[in-house]
Amino acid sequence: MKFIKNHIMFILPLMAILLGIEFYLVFDRTTDSYEKGLKEGYSMLVVSKKPAVLSDFKKLNPHISTLEKIKRQNIVAEIAKGVNKGTQEEILAALPYFYNVSLDSYVDTSGLEKIKNDLENDENIKKVETFGNAYSSAYKLFSFIKFTLKLFISFMGIVSLFLIIKQMEIWKYAHKERMQVMEIFGAPLMLRSGVLFKVAIVDAFVATLLTSAFFLYIKFQWAAHSGIDIMMQKQEELFRLSDIGILFGSALLIVVIAVYSVVFSSKGVQE
Amino acid sequence: MSNVISASHLTLSYDNGSKEIIKDANFNIKKGEFVFITGPSGSGKSTLLKALYGHLRPKEGNLIVGGHDLSSISQSKLQELRTHLGIIFQDYKLVNEWTVSKSVVLPLMIAGYSVDVQNTQAQRLLKHVKLSEHGEKFPLELSGGEQQRVGVARALAKNPVVILADEPTGNLDDYSSNVIWDLMENACQQLETTVLVVTHKIPTIFSLPYRHFIIESKGVYEVH
Repeated sequence: MKFIKNHIMFILPLMAILLGIEFYLVFDRTTDSYEKGLKEGYSMLVVSKKPAVLSDFKKLNPHISTLEKIKRQNIVAEIAKGVNKGTQEEILAALPYFYNVSLDSYVDTSGLEKIKNDLENDENIKKVETFGNAYSSAYKLFSFIKFTLKLFISFMGIVSLFLIIKQMEIWKYAHKERMQVMEIFGAPLMLRSGVLFKVAIVDAFVATLLTSAFFLYIKFQWAAHSGIDIMMQKQEELFRLSDIGILFGSALLIVVIAVYSVVFSSKGVQE
Repeated sequence: MSNVISASHLTLSYDNGSKEIIKDANFNIKKGEFVFITGPSGSGKSTLLKALYGHLRPKEGNLIVGGHDLSSISQSKLQELRTHLGIIFQDYKLVNEWTVSKSVVLPLMIAGYSVDVQNTQAQRLLKHVKLSEHGEKFPLELSGGEQQRVGVARALAKNPVVILADEPTGNLDDYSSNVIWDLMENACQQLETTVLVVTHKIPTIFSLPYRHFIIESKGVYEVH
């Protein structure tokens, strides 16, 4: 019973850290594609006195990635219904050139303002409409969710680290006598800490396994049957095979630090 | 015969050198000698013993054990030296979660002997200290005298160059004490192991010739 309790006391905080890491990875991947969607779905309207090509705009600001010309004939056809052809041609000649401009990344509102200023500083550009308000709301909400989740993950990580330190104290108490006796008789560090390493590596393995199982359940059971579109679309992003390696690597790193802390603080002979 | 232990102008201290315990001590101990170190409580007997197994570094002077100068020894050399020492403590220092058999072969395990050799040696050692029936027991299932016999068996496991014993019979009754002294006399006589015992009182039943040092007023003096 004591044996199981000792393992659980280390596995649980380790799992909490691994869950935090995995949540971060999943969030990063899904928000990355969401960010990509926001970026792809966003464009600003530029009104120019003269016809322009993409390189003209890129010279003004490097964030501009694509350019889509809006057909002026369509605009004229819409605004000059019932007007004779001669007048329509006069309107067309007087009409400036309209472009939908998209960006290469999801910039913040000040970045957006800078792009607008860079464009408007050009004498050929009459007007730039960034649709800043809608853009800003989406961006702020997105940033807030991202920040909150990172804060929560960090908090969870710190609390778990304290629990691991607490467990290390118990380890130190449980293994100190054995390690000191072995040290007196000349056992090298690896031999002294061997038992502790075995215990810790098994715990790291179990914690990785449980965390992976939890995310695999989310991926193949919960997300697949949730009926939530975004979850079903992003199912692949929820857990990747490479995540097992990342989780086990992180768990091993924590374990090595924890074991060496115990071993080095147990040096010397008990008076 | 060559010196196994040699101290020259040895000064030992605690608290980063501010509290001197032994000052300017000089002595030599040869292979196969049995040595008692006595002195009043707090005189520095155990401190000297700790210095002999490298737990405390000399503040000044030289302390050579088994050819290694402990004032400048590296950690890896110290580990190696300790595998040639047999150390016996007043409080036995047995690992409570290890069986008696496992405890006695600790020096062999550290030296990398195979499990078969360890098992054979465990039987031999336990027979030697008359604990053959107790191999699978744990230390807390044994009496104090039996635990100390396990400690002696462990110290003898690898035929050490030197046995260092810190008040080995301090917690034992007369019968158990006599058994321990017999075992150490045998080791000295039959294996030519140097035995250095820190004790507050030399046993009256002791039959071997021995040397006696006394620690007084920070000095180490031989009693003739």
